[in-house]
Amino acid sequence: MAPQQVKPVGGFSFENYTRNAVLETKGAKPPKATSTGTTIVGVIYDKGVCLGADTRATEGPIVADKNCEKIHYLAPNLYCCGAGTAADTEFTTNSISSQLELHRLSTGRKTRVVTAMTLLKQMLFRYQGHIGAALVLGGYDINGPQLYTIYPHGSTDKLPYVTMGSGSLAAMSVFESKWRPNLTREEAIAIVSEAIEAGIFNDLGSGSNVDVCVIEENSTDYLRNHVRPNERGIKEQSYRYPRGTTAILKESIRNFVDVVEGDAMDMS
Amino acid sequence: MSLKPGEVNLGTSIMAVAFNGGVIVGADSRTTTGSYIANRVTDKLTKVHDLIYCCRSGSAADTQAVADIVQYYLQMYSVQQDEPPTVHVAATLFQEMCYQNKDQLSAGIIVAGWDKKKGGTVYNIPLGGALIQQPFAIGGSGSTYIYGYCDSQYKDNMTREECIEFVKNSLALAMSRDGSSGGVIRMAVITEKGVERLFVPGDKLPVHWQG
Amino acid sequence: MNFLDSPLSKPAPYVVAPIEHRFDPYEDNGGTSVAIAGEDFCVVASDTRQSNGYMINSRYAPKAYKMSSTAVLSCNGFHADGVTLKKVLEQRMKMYKYSHDKDMSVTALAQMLSNTLYQRRFFPYYAFCLLGGVDADGKGAVYCYDSVGSFERENYRTSGSASALIQPFLDNQVGRKNQQNASTAPLTLEAVLRITKDAFTSATERDIHTGDNLQIFVITRDGVEEQNFPLKKD
Repeated sequence: MAPQQVKPVGGFSFENYTRNAVLETKGAKPPKATSTGTTIVGVIYDKGVCLGADTRATEGPIVADKNCEKIHYLAPNLYCCGAGTAADTEFTTNSISSQLELHRLSTGRKTRVVTAMTLLKQMLFRYQGHIGAALVLGGYDINGPQLYTIYPHGSTDKLPYVTMGSGSLAAMSVFESKWRPNLTREEAIAIVSEAIEAGIFNDLGSGSNVDVCVIEENSTDYLRNHVRPNERGIKEQSYRYPRGTTAILKESIRNFVDVVEGDAMDMS
Repeated sequence: MSLKPGEVNLGTSIMAVAFNGGVIVGADSRTTTGSYIANRVTDKLTKVHDLIYCCRSGSAADTQAVADIVQYYLQMYSVQQDEPPTVHVAATLFQEMCYQNKDQLSAGIIVAGWDKKKGGTVYNIPLGGALIQQPFAIGGSGSTYIYGYCDSQYKDNMTREECIEFVKNSLALAMSRDGSSGGVIRMAVITEKGVERLFVPGDKLPVHWQG
Repeated sequence: MNFLDSPLSKPAPYVVAPIEHRFDPYEDNGGTSVAIAGEDFCVVASDTRQSNGYMINSRYAPKAYKMSSTAVLSCNGFHADGVTLKKVLEQRMKMYKYSHDKDMSVTALAQMLSNTLYQRRFFPYYAFCLLGGVDADGKGAVYCYDSVGSFERENYRTSGSASALIQPFLDNQVGRKNQQNASTAPLTLEAVLRITKDAFTSATERDIHTGDNLQIFVITRDGVEEQNFPLKKD
């Protein structure tokens, strides 16, 4: 009888687990995931919630992306900032976002913040910290604006102002000295921007621009690159090479088409 | 069991004390990751039923997950049995979870509440998953500093006010000596009539000898 | 069985579990340096950020030092070792002056730096040096070192955290590598300064340990001139 092929039903594949475990005992190094040294924050204000993130992605000491997006969509009234392993934050939020969409279609109601929070924490707890997603979840539902932090092991905190990532200490120092209850929308955006900038300038894992997302009862504004405090300066000279700089070692020209009628395409 | 790297810790001071009309549960409010205070106003007193609370110590993720599951079981129980669960039922559920999964959990939980059968009751479920009924229980890293104080100050059948003072003083002493405890004191007075939440701000804590 | 033969009467000998004693005397403080030799000048440039991990210790902690009127030394790696090395070199330069009644040439200083580094062969200075200056003939000179004293005279070199980003750029723009029909005329001071600044602004974009300020030393027969420029601070 032919060996039974098991049809994958979705979820993670562990088929190389045993092989990789053996390879590791023989000294092979496991691949390293891109860890986003990050500053992400959130604040609740009088009639909404404001999220913020920097836009630098790093691979060790190298900046991999100077303008990446760290504020992820979960639902029209729910957004989520991600720190930690880049792939994990992306796939976790995508998966939960999809579950929430189906949940909305089946219930016909606006998604609640606790629903997303519970789905996220239960998934992360199930994976016992192996999914390295550290999240700041913000949203608006019938209970008003709400803000949570979710750690990779699945614990959650509900607070009026939160920070996460490698720049969280720098950002929290701004909140702990300047936050006060009942901020206005403008004040919330300002304090969030300042907290992210503290991370950008004082934490080497964070940098470039400030992304902001403001969620209110009937509106969600994604302010991409709300502040750009790190524009690249003008270069001293041009590095355009004159034609003929690159050596041609071999030349062969083949005609793939013959133009029978009309003019050949201008390829210069 | 030691914490996994990066895991959020409730290096804690928690306690629960029975008095003549019910129980009081109390806790500090500090959550730490290493030396960083991730949350300075944490609520470690989690409601699992109308008149049953638990105090959580150990890993934040583990204790939240266990408390969420027990809360769900008790909700099902009260609907199916058409009566509120006793504190003993709640404590047994916690113990079952903590004992069966002892290899994977770091959770020290105190369960306390009021029920018709026994009145105010306190159960302690330490790390290995034992279940011990006590007139009062203390737990978390800060509790080691106040065993002597609590043993000397505890009285049977305290009044509500005496009991509040006892919890407040004990926790303040634990918080002053234990680096992973601190912040504010949160309490819940659970009686037949319901739950009353009390709060002592960090600058209004009882002051003892400070050298 | 005799009781004395039973395992109970022969407990395992008490052994103290091995305790690991670790000594970590080194740190990596990041930062980048560039040195380019011209016909009759030399440029030595370093950023001034000093960092450790994701932390910035200082936004202005220079790691390039004027050693004489014809030589500038830059030390990447562990800042404290760089400072100590510079101090030891200054002492030895004084001894040289008192013994020989003349200032050291870059060539002599280059050899002495190598000797000083090799003295600590088995507990090295964690410093990766570049020495730039003008030699006795008035020609620009760049010497580059590893941490234990191996050195070489070159025309241009970068070292430090962004060296892997900058060296190919210098190979192409200063060494004119991989360029057909490129001019072979020696670079002017102005061109060298432009290339140096662009190297640092570009490295700052992609290396998290490089940034804050750029310190440029221009060494000519007439002495050493210092310039400072801001770099990005994120």
